[in-house]
Amino acid sequence: MDILVIHLFNALLYASVLFLIAGGLSLIYGVMRIVNLAHGNLYAFGAYVTAWVVGQALAGAHPVVLYLLLPVGAVAAALLGAILEPTLLRPFYRRAEEYQLLVTFGLLMILEDLMRFFWGPYPLTATSLFEKMGSLAIGESVYPRYNLLVIGIGVLAAAFLWAFVYKTRFGVVLRATSQDMRRASAMGVNVNRVYIQAFTIGCFMAGLGGAIVVPGQSAVLGMGVDALVLAFVVVVVGGLGSLEGALFGALIVGIVREFGVSVFPEVELAVLYLIAVIVLLVRPAGLFGRTA
Amino acid sequence: MKGPVTRRDLLAKLGVTAAATLGASAAGFGVAGIARAQEKPKGTIPDKPFRIGHMTFFTGPGAVLGEPMHKGNLLAAEEINAQGGLLGKRKIEILKADEAAGLDANVKEMRRLRLSEKIDMFMGITSSGNTPALGPAAEELKLLTIFIDGCTDNLFDKAVPNPRYIFRVTNIQSADGSTCALGVAQTWPDVKKVAHIHPDYAYGRNCFEHFSIVSKKLLPKAQNVSEAWPKLFSTDFTSHITKTLGAKPDLLVTSVWGGDYISFYKQALQHGLFDKMRVATTLALGVAPHAIGKDHPEGVLAGVHANYHFSYPPGNRWPLNKTFVEKYKAKFNEYPNFQAEGAYTATHILRTAVEKANKLAGGWPDDEAIISQIEGMMIAGPGGYVYIRPDNHQGYKDAITGFSKNVPEYPFPILDPARIITIPIRNITAPPGWPKGDPTSTYTWIDQTWPTVKQA
Repeated sequence: MDILVIHLFNALLYASVLFLIAGGLSLIYGVMRIVNLAHGNLYAFGAYVTAWVVGQALAGAHPVVLYLLLPVGAVAAALLGAILEPTLLRPFYRRAEEYQLLVTFGLLMILEDLMRFFWGPYPLTATSLFEKMGSLAIGESVYPRYNLLVIGIGVLAAAFLWAFVYKTRFGVVLRATSQDMRRASAMGVNVNRVYIQAFTIGCFMAGLGGAIVVPGQSAVLGMGVDALVLAFVVVVVGGLGSLEGALFGALIVGIVREFGVSVFPEVELAVLYLIAVIVLLVRPAGLFGRTA
Repeated sequence: MKGPVTRRDLLAKLGVTAAATLGASAAGFGVAGIARAQEKPKGTIPDKPFRIGHMTFFTGPGAVLGEPMHKGNLLAAEEINAQGGLLGKRKIEILKADEAAGLDANVKEMRRLRLSEKIDMFMGITSSGNTPALGPAAEELKLLTIFIDGCTDNLFDKAVPNPRYIFRVTNIQSADGSTCALGVAQTWPDVKKVAHIHPDYAYGRNCFEHFSIVSKKLLPKAQNVSEAWPKLFSTDFTSHITKTLGAKPDLLVTSVWGGDYISFYKQALQHGLFDKMRVATTLALGVAPHAIGKDHPEGVLAGVHANYHFSYPPGNRWPLNKTFVEKYKAKFNEYPNFQAEGAYTATHILRTAVEKANKLAGGWPDDEAIISQIEGMMIAGPGGYVYIRPDNHQGYKDAITGFSKNVPEYPFPILDPARIITIPIRNITAPPGWPKGDPTSTYTWIDQTWPTVKQA
């Protein structure tokens, strides 16, 4: 029984992080119609920055300070996004999609190499945050408390994002731009500003995913590409451009993966892709996608 | 072997010994390392640099193994160049190439290095996926090659069964699983329920297969109760740990390595996994010995690729290792792993072969002469003797494993000097003349020739 509860926690843990990554990817696509392949490495960048600040630069500081500094990776990823959008992406909006794919893919590679250049080939850890919280007894088993914190942050992020998009004035502008950029522009919306804001928020979410994941795991080269692929599975299932889709897609992928690891250990990844294939066959735009 | 055999008999026959090493930190002997002063070479030697193309992982998660490999090569080249180069004349130049480019690109890059950069020799390679493709390419190019790793049995079993130009120096993959299983059989013979967590690629599969076949012989009553196959380079093992705990095994066997292993053991600690079962690994302390924290539990069977840990053989007993570790530490500010030791030894294998061939014929020896000297060579490296078998060009070095232990001298766990397990490599690998088999020749050899012990 306790193992079953833990399996459920694991699924939620996985879904929380995936939602942050895929949600950011989906938000950026929804507003800007750009498939940002560099997104995975913004997640990795968030992880590296947090691991570096919390695990190395300020490792001796008071634990409370360290926990408060956890989102530093998210802020760094957001700043990076705010620089990248106007400089690298904006010149390509009027070109065909292939150009955007090439540019963002190139960016994915460049970011990977920059991280290796700054932080070297070895894994970067910030495990003290993971260890200090200890474990919670669940029946005969124990479960890391930190993982519950991650689940909590995932739920909070989803709630904030929902409120932000559906309950604020900025959210209205964002949705209007997403539905019809030209008309929004004609109505006096500063589209450039909306784009940079949306891109920054998307990067913040990816960075936050990396930042909260890193104490329990570690920042390693290649983590961004893996995350990107999984984020695509999520948005394919949920529908690209839809936040609800990202949320449900992440939950479905989280649960299916947990089930797959236990029951089909030899094909745990294939199970995820199989789900994506089935969804594509039945609902090509994803469960929550808007059909063109 | 006739009649029922006991486990103790079989372990003794296989030469599996657990012995205390004598004092781990005796005073140095002031030995100059492998590169001793050389005699004056015979004949005229050109002073053209000797170019080595070194391909390994410089980017991506594999760089955790690739960087030390390249560093081992650099250190040895520096030693040799300090004496004027090979035969005192030909300085070694190392050209880097990134193995992370992918299989096809790697084969192309090897050709380019040979045809455009005119390399004299090829070295490196980490991934078992790459050697079976690069091996045939090197043969075709007639390119003298020493693979450092890429240790799949498949290379010399199937891809290049009759090698001419290619050699490989680190241990053989199947030795990892076999060594781990022998360590378990010797230490925890009462094991009944075994769980596995292995990375889902060639290495993990190979470890699982060879652990299983050896365990079938020595621990016939042990049963698999759980398997989990995480993706290579994943850092999230939460689900795999939960599954393992749910199966309530008394032993976990894992071949997870590198950054993956660090994440794994940190997560396993918080899930209380180490309190509930024994843990045996094939590569825990092998990849980046200094990257494991002191929070790592002691007494874990901590594999080092059945091959090399910088703390063994200890300096007073094997000065070559002491000198190597000190030089490496001074130059790179980290401790060498098996890749560093392998590349360092390989470079000195080259030097030794060139010197021997020169002594016989004078002048700069051609590749055929160098190859004939490498075949059958027995050389002392930092990790012990390496023997290059002439028939399959594979380096054979006795297998080692041990138990994690924290000692005051190091800020990370090392292999417990009081209980290092060593196994003569000839006893756990298929001998010359054994027919090629599936999944490996060693597997069929163990399956067909080892007796099954009587388990109490």
